Amino acid sequence: MNRVRLALKQSPALRVDLRGVTPAALHGLNTAHIERLTVTHGMQTLALAEFFAVARDDADEGGEELVFEGELSRFDRIGWQLTGGSVVVEGSAGDYVGACMSGGEVHVRGSAGLLAACEMAGGTLTIDRDVGDHAASSLPGSMDGMRGGTLIVRGRAGDRFADRMRRGTAIVFGDVGDFLASRLVAGTIAIGGRAGAHIGYGMRRGSVVFVGAAPSVAPTFVQALGDAAVAWQLLARDLASHGGPFAGLPARRISRHLGDLSSDGKGELIAVL
Amino acid sequence: MTTPAPPTTPTGPPEGHAPAWERPRARPLRAARILNGVAVDDTFAEAFPMKATRILITAHNLTWARHAAMSATGFATSVIACGCEAGIEREVGPDDTPDGRPGYSVLIFSMSAKELAKQVERRVGQCVLTCPTTAVFAGLPVSPALAGSAGRPPEGAQALVPPGHGQLGGEVIGLGRNLRFFGDGWQISKVINGVRYWRVPVMDGEFVAQETTTLTKAVGGGNLLLLATDTDAALRIAEAAVDAMRRLPNVVMPFPGGVVRSGSKVGSKYAALPASTNAAFCPGLYGLAAESEITPDVHCVLEIVIDGLTEADVGAAMLAGMRACLEIGAAGGLRRISAGNYGGKLGPYLFHLHQLLGTQGGGT
Repeated sequence: MNRVRLALKQSPALRVDLRGVTPAALHGLNTAHIERLTVTHGMQTLALAEFFAVARDDADEGGEELVFEGELSRFDRIGWQLTGGSVVVEGSAGDYVGACMSGGEVHVRGSAGLLAACEMAGGTLTIDRDVGDHAASSLPGSMDGMRGGTLIVRGRAGDRFADRMRRGTAIVFGDVGDFLASRLVAGTIAIGGRAGAHIGYGMRRGSVVFVGAAPSVAPTFVQALGDAAVAWQLLARDLASHGGPFAGLPARRISRHLGDLSSDGKGELIAVL
Repeated sequence: MTTPAPPTTPTGPPEGHAPAWERPRARPLRAARILNGVAVDDTFAEAFPMKATRILITAHNLTWARHAAMSATGFATSVIACGCEAGIEREVGPDDTPDGRPGYSVLIFSMSAKELAKQVERRVGQCVLTCPTTAVFAGLPVSPALAGSAGRPPEGAQALVPPGHGQLGGEVIGLGRNLRFFGDGWQISKVINGVRYWRVPVMDGEFVAQETTTLTKAVGGGNLLLLATDTDAALRIAEAAVDAMRRLPNVVMPFPGGVVRSGSKVGSKYAALPASTNAAFCPGLYGLAAESEITPDVHCVLEIVIDGLTEADVGAAMLAGMRACLEIGAAGGLRRISAGNYGGKLGPYLFHLHQLLGTQGGGT
């Protein structure tokens, strides 16, 4: 595997925009060339070498991997519009990590800031710790949120998780904030912990699975009487592959509520019993 | 007409043109190999290319899965008048189904992708959707990459070749794609692991159907002709052969019980008919038909037709069938094993009986 390592020299004074620093963009560039690539730091445009020590480890076989070493919570748009390859952040990441990505993998070993995976269309984004508000949602002013791929948050998530999400799978092992799945268009969400207030506010379609505490269901949802055992088995078997609180799901029974009747009303809140 | 119409169209002068005493009474037997007292003709079965798909029908229990599978594969003996040939391939346990319920895998064959798509939609729509508790899934892999990021496959997309099946792979056709409209707007889709499923509300809950199923090139029309001393023996031998074939994957024997009595030849004295009875193998026409394959000790002939996903699958089924027959042998009333062909003019797949048997058994 061709691996480029960017080791943080020191935390920047302002926020740094790392859009364009992707495995594909660095492919074939030598160390000196990579160091001269420019990124924005506040209103300034600076060379990448101002922030990172660059090293590369080329191999004949395998894909492209970009590794960020250090605490990058002031570095935004890591993996922005990623189409392939692998990005690993050894520490935490800033805002917009994995936003608009359509392929490849991004793995954040720490936490991530706001708007992670927003308008994500493909690939896999894994965050080992917590993620901020508006993850898997839409960019400000946009009509559609996450629209494909898989988002895995092994810690907690903030408010408005999966707002306007349209397609794909978003999983949180821990708790989530308020307005989970608000205005959800479709897709699958699974929550391992507790959810805040206003679950599924204005959701049209899609499925939200609660493995931990039973959700507080708004009066605009109705109890489902019909059997959905087949769909549940298909979904549960897929979620169980992520382990953690989702292990053993196929053997557990469910209770469903359908809504939000104030919108299309074809969404479902699935409480695992 | 059965699928593999043996090439028994008389080549001599038309019946009635020559005096009865000048007509040939029986074709000379081809160089046969004698195994356990049974003559195995030095001939071949001729098969032809088809399109096929495998679908997996599951239900709350095996009884209801069987009801659906039997119904979906009913009236599917020959492409000539049924539109497709279909059969139950095998029972599938809960550990091998996507939803953890028991079911049956079904193979459906047709002459074109378009006709197969029509047949699958009709049969699943009328026989599976309607059957209590059932769900239906693709039995051949549909690649998520080819099915699009949302699991919605582009028309004509090529599916990946499944492991172990060199010839497999092909287009995808609708499974639940159009049946979803039965939901009258209440249907919802669920994309799970890159595969799209449709959930259609019905009176016992919901009918779940995978959106598409993979279509593959296949081989239709492998066959064996079993010539026996009487009806009891012929049935016993044919049943044993079908049982042996059913133990193999990737094949179905589409006729009732896997056996067909109405072997056919191409053409008819009636212009409207594309096929007619295989006079050469009708014991009742011995001494009457211009050419006959019947010998005086043969009073009943039955045929087994085999459709398979690959040439190797059909060949393996024919071999398994022949071995089962030969095990019964002459003592059980079997006199000859033959096969139907068109002289090699119809299909690219020729299954020579002697080659299939290899060096098994004794001399000729």
